[in-house]
Amino acid sequence: MATGSEVGAGTPRQEAVSRSRPDLTGPGLLGVPVAWLVVFFLVPIGIVAAYSLDALSILPEPHPVTLQAWRDFFAGDPFLGHIYLNLFWKSVKMSLIVSAIIVALAYPLAYYLALSGTKRKYVLLLLLIAPFLTSYLLRVLAWKVLMGDEGPINSFLSSIGLEPLSLIYTQFAVLLVLGYVWLPFVALPIFVSLESLDRRLLEAASDLGASRWQAFFRITLPLSAPGVAAGFLFVFIPTLGEFITPSLVGGTDGYMYGNQIVDLFGTGFPDWRTGSVLALFLLGVVGLLTIVLSRFLQPRQVATD
Amino acid sequence: MNVALSRSAAWLLRTFFALVVVFLYAPIVVLLIFSFNDSDLPTFPLSGFTLHWYHEFLTNPDLQNALKTSAEIAALSSLGAVVLGILASMALVRYRFRGSGPVSALLLSPLVIPFVVFGISLLLLFHAIGLHLGIRTVVIGHIVITLPYTMLVLIPRLQQIDASLEEAAYDLGASRLRTFRSITLPLILPAIVCAYLIAFTTSFDEYAIASFVKGETVTFPVYLYAALRFPSQLPQVIAVAVVVIAVSLVVVIAAEVGRRVAERRLEVS
Repeated sequence: MATGSEVGAGTPRQEAVSRSRPDLTGPGLLGVPVAWLVVFFLVPIGIVAAYSLDALSILPEPHPVTLQAWRDFFAGDPFLGHIYLNLFWKSVKMSLIVSAIIVALAYPLAYYLALSGTKRKYVLLLLLIAPFLTSYLLRVLAWKVLMGDEGPINSFLSSIGLEPLSLIYTQFAVLLVLGYVWLPFVALPIFVSLESLDRRLLEAASDLGASRWQAFFRITLPLSAPGVAAGFLFVFIPTLGEFITPSLVGGTDGYMYGNQIVDLFGTGFPDWRTGSVLALFLLGVVGLLTIVLSRFLQPRQVATD
Repeated sequence: MNVALSRSAAWLLRTFFALVVVFLYAPIVVLLIFSFNDSDLPTFPLSGFTLHWYHEFLTNPDLQNALKTSAEIAALSSLGAVVLGILASMALVRYRFRGSGPVSALLLSPLVIPFVVFGISLLLLFHAIGLHLGIRTVVIGHIVITLPYTMLVLIPRLQQIDASLEEAAYDLGASRLRTFRSITLPLILPAIVCAYLIAFTTSFDEYAIASFVKGETVTFPVYLYAALRFPSQLPQVIAVAVVVIAVSLVVVIAAEVGRRVAERRLEVS
């Protein structure tokens, strides 16, 4: 603890750091949060791994540790083929479509906010983001109501004499709702990267005779790449493991990998071993992707290229 | 002259922005309209004005219990997340130490885990140690996923504060706890409130993890999810949706305005 005699020795900054070491108020502060994440985050993932190897099982009889479930996952079923890998691939494609479309839509929105010189920039940004901060489930609900076979859209169409559309319980419905849900959020990291762009670079380009398009492709776009990568990652990861939206508006057509994981842990025919393999595979892909893309997230690296 | 946008391009982008805003708010407006519609089904043409659905959900005990359960879980878990977030952020901002990189990566990693994976992981953990599923287990899970959000709010704030203020108090003989209470806490209070609100709304709305570890507990999202399968409850659910969305929009805007007012005051002082 601090005593009067220590005061005045050394520069204040050094002293604060050196004195902090022995007591629990320094890095020791991290003890509880780190312990919490180890016990309730890392250990549970370890338990999933144990289930995937049959080291733990819901079946009471003795069970040797085996890679069988992993082998089955990659080799596929002799009759049904690679059901899980095919489903994973379908989910990857759906997530890629959603993420790419949203980033393409969010970019001009962020560009307008950051670079048009509008005075109400932050008001407009809040207007854009606010829906994202309201309930996720309720926004999905809104679309479930809207797209119903006798919902507002279809009853409106038939009231003006048009054929009703089959919207709900399709893959399209899942893509539309996921896009709707995530669009505001993606604009945010892109806005931040455009906002920190040094305008003098654009002025210099203009002075040197570059057109606005040239300046955009040579300066603005490369410098905002970290924001684009972050935005992409923010949508792609949650949508890849999504199960709520497909289960509410997707039907069988929109069934995704996440739904399969839920079903394997469900009440019907639970298969925790296979479910654990699926969950870990998803986690592995997402982890790898995060590591690769986070290289793009370092703004300094891009700037010094 | 704007070097980034020609006048016609700016006009084009403004129109596009307006269209997207309409797209974002239109479903909410449609919900609002049908919450006052005197019909069991949300179809055009409208059947007349009623407050029946609002009255029905206000007198529905199951729904009220679900709201209360979610509020309780959100209050507890965001308190836990904010306390852990303050501890972690203080340590990471104020001290340089070996391994701070991996530690902050661990603390932020719940941001990128698919919730379905985390949900089943927790389920298997509680199954293995025999912990009874209920409010407690949902709170545990929600603390893990909201902790990174609190850190993302608190860390930038702590970095803005001049560390020499804390050192001065410390040098004048204040204990560490006293320094925190009289210097640091008041300065980061707006960020703490903001972090608490973010954690609260995230927990209140969280379905994926809760669906695995809730046991028999019915949270508000769990109630909604189940109600979506029974069309007879739809008008009532629409009325609730309107209220919840309206409240959260007001909270969001109030939090943002409050944060900016607090920030401006700090700049002035």
